[in-house]
Amino acid sequence: MKRFPRLEPTFWDGVVTVFVVLLALAALFGRGGGGASGSISAAVYADGEEIDRVELSSVETVEEREYSGEGYVLRVAFYPDGAQVLSADCPTQDCVRTGKVTRNGQSAVCLPARIVVRLEGGAVPDGAPDAVLG
Amino acid sequence: MKLTTKALAQCAMLTALALGLSWMESAFPLSALIPLPGVRLGLANVVTLFALYALGSPSAGLILLSRCALGAMFAGNMNALMFSLFGGAAALSCMTALSRSRRLSVYGVSIGGAAAHQCGQIAAAMLNLGNAAPLYYLPVLLFVSIFTGALTGLIAALFFRALDAARAFAW
Repeated sequence: MKRFPRLEPTFWDGVVTVFVVLLALAALFGRGGGGASGSISAAVYADGEEIDRVELSSVETVEEREYSGEGYVLRVAFYPDGAQVLSADCPTQDCVRTGKVTRNGQSAVCLPARIVVRLEGGAVPDGAPDAVLG
Repeated sequence: MKLTTKALAQCAMLTALALGLSWMESAFPLSALIPLPGVRLGLANVVTLFALYALGSPSAGLILLSRCALGAMFAGNMNALMFSLFGGAAALSCMTALSRSRRLSVYGVSIGGAAAHQCGQIAAAMLNLGNAAPLYYLPVLLFVSIFTGALTGLIAALFFRALDAARAFAW
């Protein structure tokens, strides 16, 4: 045994814990989201590239689409208030268990398929002008 | 790094133990309760923590590397190698630094390591996906790491106590 550690919790363990809590809070407030203006859209990324974008305001009740990546297929449902991975044939199923994402910035990630479904606020719809002048 | 036959045998035994713990953990996925990618108890971290104190950081690094490579090979998922390596390397670096402080117990070192592990895995996920979306999960994963780190710290403390009492091995 090179060194024998202290086995009773110390005050400094509490300092480490508080540091982790502060780090988590900083990440929580730093990620933003929730307060974006404009329409919310669901962007679908595969392998880092945006492959689809659905304006949620244009969805009436539900719209289902399929995406594939790395040999896995994901069935995604888009609702007026969010998006959800309904089923996937990936081994982890984390994307399905994430459930419905409803807030700006929130995402459902499928690591095996390398697919991300992310809600983004204030996005410019396809074909819309970049800016209106005058 | 000079590796004696005894040290090699100890590393091999601890690698096998870490692989067994990882396999056992996969039977009870924490992500079923907390549906986030990357959420795990991190029981194999108990072995890394033990190896860090018992054998030193180079041996702990060797065990970590072997465990990650063999784990990915046995699971047939080489994609997982990147995640476990990033997480494991971040955790080991953090725990090595924290363990140098005599003011911290295994609990503090373990909690720091668990938090660093989550940060490493988020970095790996961002690189893998080419997208910053995984950052969204970081706050929750950091909160979870306090509990998982405390739990692995508790298991490691019990292990050290038992080892001290029994003196079963002449480390």
